[in-house]
Amino acid sequence: MNIISPFFQQCDQSPDNSALIEENTSISYAEFKTRIEKIATFLTNKHVKDQCIAIALDRGIDAASCIYGVLHVGAIYLPLDIKNPATRLNFIIHDARPSFIIGRGSAPDWLENKHLWLDISQLLLNDVHIHTPPQANNTDLAAILYTSGSTGKPKGVALSHQALLNFSSWASYTFKLDQQDRIASLAPFHFDLSIFDLFSSLASGASVYFLPARFSLSPSRLTAWLSEHKITIWYTVPSILSFVALKGALATTPLPHLKRLLFAGEVFPSQNLIKLAYLLADTALYNLYGPTETNVCCYWQVERQRLSPDHTIPIGRAAGAAKLDIDPVTAELLVDSLNNFSGYWQQGQLKPQTTQYYPTGDKVSLNVQGELLYHGRLDRMLKCSGYRVEPAEIEQCINQLNGVQNSAVVGIKDQASGQRPAAAIVLKSSSNLAETIKPLRQQLPPYMQPCKFLVLDTLPTLSNGKTDYPSVQKLF
Amino acid sequence: MKQQLREFIFNELIFVAEPDKFSDDDDLLEAGLDSMGIMRLIMHIEEQFNITLPDSEIDPDNVNSFNALEQWILQHKT
Repeated sequence: MNIISPFFQQCDQSPDNSALIEENTSISYAEFKTRIEKIATFLTNKHVKDQCIAIALDRGIDAASCIYGVLHVGAIYLPLDIKNPATRLNFIIHDARPSFIIGRGSAPDWLENKHLWLDISQLLLNDVHIHTPPQANNTDLAAILYTSGSTGKPKGVALSHQALLNFSSWASYTFKLDQQDRIASLAPFHFDLSIFDLFSSLASGASVYFLPARFSLSPSRLTAWLSEHKITIWYTVPSILSFVALKGALATTPLPHLKRLLFAGEVFPSQNLIKLAYLLADTALYNLYGPTETNVCCYWQVERQRLSPDHTIPIGRAAGAAKLDIDPVTAELLVDSLNNFSGYWQQGQLKPQTTQYYPTGDKVSLNVQGELLYHGRLDRMLKCSGYRVEPAEIEQCINQLNGVQNSAVVGIKDQASGQRPAAAIVLKSSSNLAETIKPLRQQLPPYMQPCKFLVLDTLPTLSNGKTDYPSVQKLF
Repeated sequence: MKQQLREFIFNELIFVAEPDKFSDDDDLLEAGLDSMGIMRLIMHIEEQFNITLPDSEIDPDNVNSFNALEQWILQHKT
């Protein structure tokens, strides 16, 4: 089944219900369907089935219309983070080889291959000639989400219609979504949390409210917005929720409509979660866990009486019929699930995942209740504001700078939540740190920028000659 | 006051290659100050200057430069 088919069923039943609300614009299910079909009509003539189409638009009605339009013609959507530096965007375009890039207006300066560009406003001028979305086979790909890669380059996680459907229907069922629900969307579409906002929502007949991005820097306005729009469900990251708990004026802005709050992406600092649980006494809270490759594979509904400032909360039990296993030697969590990705998208094609169980790289254990506990990474991956960041990708950028001989990137714990990258650098003689690292601003997205730099004569090494990262860590 | 803010922000929250060239009007948000950074900055200011910054005033306009921060803090210092 096509991931967007449930939306069309909802649309047949309740065409006039609100589907998407962005600032002062609200469109119904029927209006959204028309927009999807206009885009699909245009794309049908381009023969893009099973090809990848990039979307260079910010989260909102236009981007959602493109995603659904792309899926309607059996193509694969690739959401770009348009705030990424040009070099990273071009790397992704070269690697993914999309047939088109849909954006707004004329092609941007960063794009080397300008003939790929399509203007959304032109697409929406089409008359509609096609209606029902085509069937999709279980293994047909639906989405490619690029994340940080341990080889030093971003990598595209390819997800099938089946993977998205399995997650979407599990989430709709577990969190009891229905036509009365008003779902807040803040996660960018290139971030896997958005799969819930985009698909579980409209499959259930609910309405999606796009939370203006500027409110993430203004927590009391964010809570006022949640209150004003009577939001019932919100899926976001702990760093935003910590800010809301501590500075969001929740004591004077109760959120009586907020039934459920879901969070994932990083460990929620317990003291902030306790405060949030106290301030939102009637809201059910859920800790969701899973890398982009598996989406949510386990979850824990917060039991308030078990919260303690000295313990992090469990990641819980299997979700969406996932089979979870723990490697007896390394304690790594292994996941076999219908949610699992199909493989990595490399150089314009799928490199299929061959193992049944996906090794998460996360160390876990079981508590006496049979719930999983998270104990950190087996490798060097960091979590920065909910984003996953591979130090190797930052090192590769730094090592390519003029004047750099070598570098080692480690995570330093952020006092508020998650980690921040920090870099130890060995400079070539006569190089100056400030001058050398200037270009990084144009090469790495903000959440990957090291917050500290340290100049060393040599990097500490282990007896086998490899960089001794724990020693580097101690220098910060 | 701005010196104190500079030290905290540039040592703890964001890295700026040449802090001396970062003016009091330059945009801190563009330089990488994010929601987590703003949260830590506000807690630091409240502790350092012994003031309470109302939740309702936490807004990009009040934290996007050293000049904006200073003005905001001065409004709450007795």
